[in-house]
Amino acid sequence: MSEPAAPLEAGQPALIRVMGLCHTYLRGTPLETPALHGIDLLVAPGEVIGIVGPTGSGKSTLLQHLNGLLRPQGGEVFVNGVRLSDPQADVRSVRQQVGLLFQSPEDQLFERFAGDDVAFGPRNLGLSADAVRERVRQAMEMVGLPFEYKDRLSTELSQGERRRLALAGVLALQPRVLVLDEPTAGLDPQGRQDLLRFLSVWCQSPGKAIVLATHNMEDIAELCTRVYVLREGRVILHGPSREVFGQCELLRQMGLAIPVAAEAMCRLRQRGYAVAGTALTIAEAAAALKALIHG
Amino acid sequence: MADPSEFELLGRVTIGQYMPTGSVLHRLDPRAKLCMAAALVATVVVSQSLLGLTVLLLAVLAALALAHIPLRFALAGLRPMVPFLLLLALLQVLAIPQYSANARVLWRWAVLTVSDRSLIAGVLLILRFCVLVLSLSLFSFSTTTTELTHGIEHLLRPLQAIRLPAHEFALVVNIAIRFLPILAGEAERLMKAQASRGADFGRGQRNFIQRARMLLPLLVPLFLVSLQRADELAEAMEARCYLGGKGRSHLIQLQARLRDYVALSIMLILAILSIHLNAIQADQVLWTWLAKNLSHLL
Amino acid sequence: MSSTTRRIVVAGVLGAISIFLGASHLGFIPWLAGAALTIMHVPVIIGAVLEGPWVGLAIGLIFGAFSLLQAAIAPTGPTDVWFTNPLVSILPRLFIGPVAWLVYKALQRANEVAALATAGVAGSLTNTVLVLGALGLLRFLPWALIGTIAVTNGLPEAVVAAIITVAVVAAWKRIETGRKGSTV
Repeated sequence: MSEPAAPLEAGQPALIRVMGLCHTYLRGTPLETPALHGIDLLVAPGEVIGIVGPTGSGKSTLLQHLNGLLRPQGGEVFVNGVRLSDPQADVRSVRQQVGLLFQSPEDQLFERFAGDDVAFGPRNLGLSADAVRERVRQAMEMVGLPFEYKDRLSTELSQGERRRLALAGVLALQPRVLVLDEPTAGLDPQGRQDLLRFLSVWCQSPGKAIVLATHNMEDIAELCTRVYVLREGRVILHGPSREVFGQCELLRQMGLAIPVAAEAMCRLRQRGYAVAGTALTIAEAAAALKALIHG
Repeated sequence: MADPSEFELLGRVTIGQYMPTGSVLHRLDPRAKLCMAAALVATVVVSQSLLGLTVLLLAVLAALALAHIPLRFALAGLRPMVPFLLLLALLQVLAIPQYSANARVLWRWAVLTVSDRSLIAGVLLILRFCVLVLSLSLFSFSTTTTELTHGIEHLLRPLQAIRLPAHEFALVVNIAIRFLPILAGEAERLMKAQASRGADFGRGQRNFIQRARMLLPLLVPLFLVSLQRADELAEAMEARCYLGGKGRSHLIQLQARLRDYVALSIMLILAILSIHLNAIQADQVLWTWLAKNLSHLL
Repeated sequence: MSSTTRRIVVAGVLGAISIFLGASHLGFIPWLAGAALTIMHVPVIIGAVLEGPWVGLAIGLIFGAFSLLQAAIAPTGPTDVWFTNPLVSILPRLFIGPVAWLVYKALQRANEVAALATAGVAGSLTNTVLVLGALGLLRFLPWALIGTIAVTNGLPEAVVAAIITVAVVAAWKRIETGRKGSTV
């Protein structure tokens, strides 16, 4: 699989580089399950990468390689130059630089008081009590939770607040790459908008990137610059979002939906209407329709 | 190579392995097998006779052959234990002062004493362990967990008559077994989420402080999530009109066949034989006979 | 008021935790000289405290039976040789739950947290004393050694059991443990 053409800024190394990654669960036991077969992936600073694919395609497995939870059984994973297949690799620093937020993270809060849960990461980094406090404050304010909430019982917060708290827990590590697994699943529309807005602002700071694995095509359409489509542990398709979502037939065969706007344009094209380009958002679709009608 | 299966707990949570070889032992009624296993454990525990245990050992080896379980595989479980076995047998032989009372002392040095009784105790330890390991392994090779839970339930049913909660306990075991994979999954999720924020779950040299600090943030949520699910399950059961075991009918009926009775009879004979050998002090008889006749032969 | 259904399910779930801690070796905390502190008896204590002595008995039985099975089917150390004997692995464990429950009930009215901690200690010591006692009576170990083990292993194990019991039950029943806010 050739390297994807990514807009690497001159001189800046890729934040994450995955080459030929293979992984099999429970290798050597009768319950062996192959999950990844030779994945190539690149994450450059400033990018928002989307990873889509049907359930069981290996998305979660891939994400867990990005912060060293899983080590490559075949192929290579480089995070900021650290080679993860090396048994001596500094995994702790990788986990600080790449913050991974799992699905339904609010279910994994384990401290009684909200502040303590956010402090878990900074404390594991060995920071002083003052530094920990400062990190917790910053992280909570970033996600829109008042610092006073630190003394509240985690169980007393609403689901949306708990999810924000979990995100704060990851942000408190001050990572360079945020990796998120289904971040908007189960959120109400307002919560989803808030999260997407936060993410787009966050990755505008220099040297940051986001990797997003999701079923929700609208999230990809709004945020992602490049998309990788996974199926049965392989990358079937990758490239800028517009290009990928232009392949509506292929995606439909795989059982994947595409953003509503792109779907509409696709169907119009199938009926012979010459709509230009690929629309990702409703606004773009409206503009394309206008051009079609008047043009 | 770094341990890639740091978090793969699910693979380790297996209660014995089931090897489907389709032998007659596999097709026995689980109730028969449970009774036989219980009888065997009881006989082994009680037995003080080398002869008796040897008889049982030979019987178990024959059963393993009957079940088409390759002997090397069955013995593989014992191999890592050999050093410990020898060590503990040595402990029995040398260091238990209780044996020296009323026994013929063969050798003494400081606190260590070897008596004829302690020697026998050492050999008995090894024999007992081998018989138990081989027979319970055979049990796990030839019985699935579903059969096991059905067997337990059916066996305990008559106890319901004397007001013991048989059905309830069988249900408890059932729930426990089915909950295990869910638990392993939860634990794995928790560990991964915490490891992603810097917690260190690596295997290998761990001292007490590190292990304890790593455990508590894992244990408390594990318990809480489990208790939460227990609440939900109880509600779901009651919502489906579960009112306890009285008068409940069963989907799976177990049928005892001739071969089950045959197997049980064989077990009974072996148990009686073993205990009888115990009772008549067969070992003594054998020693004296050997002592008398060996001098003739040599 | 707790229903029978509730008790059955809690016993099953906590029994599963006990099995899981043993099977995955998470329940073994390295301690001096290769011996480990174990926490597989803690679900027994928690079950007894939350749902009563019968539940404690059931979980204790599951714990004991599994420790026998594990010792016989996948033995890994010297203790497994002894635990193939049900008088060592099963019988002592039946008492952990009822003892913990009695202690908890006796002290509950005075102070909830202290009652939990003491129940944890009592349950754990019951495990230690009865198992070691069985080992002594069956002449697997000399009494002198048993006394040492009881102190060097049994006491720290009791402390750990108390800590976990308090942490879990206090969180579950939303009991105030003294801390009013986060330590950040």
